[in-house]
Amino acid sequence: MDKLKLGCFEFESRLIMGTGKYSDTPTMLRAIEASGAQLVTVALRRFNRERPADDLMGPLLGMKHLTLMPNTSGACNAGEAVKAAHLTRELTGSPFIKIEIHPNPHHLLPDPIETYEAARILAAEGFVVMPYMPADPVLAKRLEDVGCASVMPLGSPIGSGQGLATAGMLKIIIRNSRVPVIIDAGLRSPSEAAAAMEMGCDAVLINSAIAVANDPPAMAVAFARAIEAGRLARLAGIMVRSDSAVATSPLTSFLARDKSEPI
Amino acid sequence: MVTPPSIPEWLDPSPWLPRARNAGGRMVSNALATESATPADFAALLSPVAPTLLESMARQAQSLTRRHFGRTISLYAPLYLSDYCGSGCAYCGFAADRPRRRRRLETDEMIAEMDTMKAMGFDEILLLTGERNPKADFDYLRQAVALAAERFHLVTIETFPMTVEEYRELAQIGCTGLTLYQETYDPEVYARLHRWGPKQNYMDRVESPARALSGGLRTAGLGILLGLADPVADAIALYRHIDYLRKNFWQAGISVSFPRIRPQQGGFMPAFTVDDRFLAQLIFAFRLCMPDVTLTLSTRESAAFRDGMAGIGICKMSIASKTTVGGYHYESLAENGQFIISDNRDMATFCAMLHRLGFEPVLKNWDSVFR
Repeated sequence: MDKLKLGCFEFESRLIMGTGKYSDTPTMLRAIEASGAQLVTVALRRFNRERPADDLMGPLLGMKHLTLMPNTSGACNAGEAVKAAHLTRELTGSPFIKIEIHPNPHHLLPDPIETYEAARILAAEGFVVMPYMPADPVLAKRLEDVGCASVMPLGSPIGSGQGLATAGMLKIIIRNSRVPVIIDAGLRSPSEAAAAMEMGCDAVLINSAIAVANDPPAMAVAFARAIEAGRLARLAGIMVRSDSAVATSPLTSFLARDKSEPI
Repeated sequence: MVTPPSIPEWLDPSPWLPRARNAGGRMVSNALATESATPADFAALLSPVAPTLLESMARQAQSLTRRHFGRTISLYAPLYLSDYCGSGCAYCGFAADRPRRRRRLETDEMIAEMDTMKAMGFDEILLLTGERNPKADFDYLRQAVALAAERFHLVTIETFPMTVEEYRELAQIGCTGLTLYQETYDPEVYARLHRWGPKQNYMDRVESPARALSGGLRTAGLGILLGLADPVADAIALYRHIDYLRKNFWQAGISVSFPRIRPQQGGFMPAFTVDDRFLAQLIFAFRLCMPDVTLTLSTRESAAFRDGMAGIGICKMSIASKTTVGGYHYESLAENGQFIISDNRDMATFCAMLHRLGFEPVLKNWDSVFR
């Protein structure tokens, strides 16, 4: 399969994994291993260098094939997110930063104004900036313009399992984007991840749907396969939906067809 | 008039009380099926229900808790700084008119207690005092908050109502949230149980969480002391109070606790009995109607009840708590505590139990970089 390119980095897997909400760290690590994911996100708020048993960073740094994408979850404004980004770069050495600014701790929806400001600052500082954002096509272009390596619009609110509730907006974002579009939140099942990939997004980030499954490693594999299937289908060219039946031996087949035209 | 003759309209539970008394199976089922709960749904979920319906509530509460908080339980512990008090709550072991030897932690003792709690693994500390008094006033609390903020990522207080300026000052030195229980929203019962002292002022207490959030604290924890008054009416008023705060402080993190009156010095007899079944139903009702709010259960409750409720509504718990002044570093006698602890397990035993139940105990879930 073709590779996912983020800044100057390339990844075979198009599944990005979250690391919260698991019943224990070994299960989380097994799920990541099983998924084949190469990029994982982890919240600074769950770094605990004083108490290894409560720490998510240490075990993840131990998995050498993984690239860590620390996130700023907990930040309420751009200033806090920038401080968090500096700290995570020092602690992990990763150039990636996933900007998460959700001032309301209940619905966790991203603040577009503060996200834009943090992205502008961090991109200028050389971070590989991955902003979690509302599914807003204009904001996506503005974030691209300030140098984000991708945009990460939400499918639906974090943890909601409402799937691709923002599908209409996502399609506009995908159609217009010059940087990879990664669906970041709200997906419940592998079929929804496949649908996101078929729609044309470049990668999918999954946390809750895997973490709270009864068998997280198995669910991680299911998502990985669905994402791969969706990507393959997208590249292969998906049949256009039609209201009327189309004969398999069309009447106009005798007319010359332009070979460059997609089927 | 420090206590209003009747409950303010915006908190008044009475429009929904008939529904909470006799909603019937269909109304409860409808409330269970709704996607956007109203106070009427909440009231219906408090009504007497059949065991099968309670089981349905539990299953839905579990699913919502899992969705929003994952398979994790956040842990914290309280530190009582002082048992000097300026009020005479009829139900409290620390009430100012009870004869007891009182003490407060001095600076070196605070440091020793906090360092011991930190070494136990805690990263969230709840600092408690009695009602405002000369031995434990704002300046004393400010000093404790500053010491705690050097050691813990989350520092919350359960003390006395303050002004916006005082809350702002605490926020600036690292206080992240407050816990303040109204105890009861019934003005008559409130007046009867708080006959004198600053806590007489019902509205001052009601308005305190809003002042704290205006002053820059990030979280507010509310609750009622279950047993003081009609728990159904109190729960609906509490629901309305939270609803108000969420609409007016859109960035605030809200949590709810469910303290039941425990045996304490003075032998206060609660007017209402809140049994395990109703308490569980109350927690489920909050989870179903407010899926994303933090619901907390303390060591007032038994180990069996806490283990059962973990993850089916409850997402945060205290553990290894002392309700005496200090007690983590220095020896203390449990019977001198504000109330008697029911779940006496230590951190390791409790965490092992959570793991067996399929939950990750989370000690650090914040970072001081965000304050």
